[in-house]
Amino acid sequence: MAALPLTEPVLLILLSLAGQPRHGYAILKDVAEMSDGRVALSTGTLYGALRRLLDEGWIERFEEDDTSRGRQTYRLTPGGRRNLQTEVSRLKRLTQVARLRVAERER
Amino acid sequence: MTMLPDRFSPYRCLLHLYPATHRDEFGEEMLAVFHGAQADIAQQGMVRRAAFYARETYGLLTGALEEHVRSITGLRSWDINSSRRFTMRSEFRFPKSTPILMTIILAAVVLAIEKATAIRYSAFPDFNQHVGPIRPEHFTFFPKLLLAFAVTYVAGVVGWGILYALHRSGLHRMTEMPGLKQE
Repeated sequence: MAALPLTEPVLLILLSLAGQPRHGYAILKDVAEMSDGRVALSTGTLYGALRRLLDEGWIERFEEDDTSRGRQTYRLTPGGRRNLQTEVSRLKRLTQVARLRVAERER
Repeated sequence: MTMLPDRFSPYRCLLHLYPATHRDEFGEEMLAVFHGAQADIAQQGMVRRAAFYARETYGLLTGALEEHVRSITGLRSWDINSSRRFTMRSEFRFPKSTPILMTIILAAVVLAIEKATAIRYSAFPDFNQHVGPIRPEHFTFFPKLLLAFAVTYVAGVVGWGILYALHRSGLHRMTEMPGLKQE
């Protein structure tokens, strides 16, 4: 199982798949949209991450009803979703601590 | 301008830097995603297009390198970050495109050494009175390095042959035999 914390591109890829199954190009667009264009993944980076996530069992291939365009779709596995929730909780705690510390400093 | 057929597109050619297993599994998908992103960026300015191609090339080269490292050693980037353990694969694999990458790296090293030698002769003319500015005859180191490379390459091929023969003999499966597994 992959170690936490995750890198930002991997976290964004997982968040992109959290809503619905997506194919590679849709992930690329969604990641750019979620990060306001700050994270622009290259195809090589995207498929390196997808291959690792497949190997680790965080995501799986998903058969679409419409396979006419021959695109491969990916979705989160139950284990991948659990790990993503763990990471999101970790980030949430970190944000709370950060907010408190910044507030203390401003007093 | 005449368009090249898709099978000769630069991106498809660069995909050959990846190990064959990765290329077979993801090659067509990567190509389709690249073409989609390329179509999106086509109407953008030159700077954005240049940034896109630079990003794609860099991502592809680093991705290919990472896949080669992974396929040879079994080392994954997450393993590097988490535990720094070095794990070997149970089976031996030698991707066909690895020698190409190794040759490119070696050529870069050889050229750097040649250049440094030539600059030394040029910057310190008193170092050897018979040698003046950079001339083709200064490049004498190359044949020796080529010979060293050839010897190393042959040694590598022999080593690979031995490991391949051992793999084909099924020696690595002996540990899976019931009698040995219990021990």
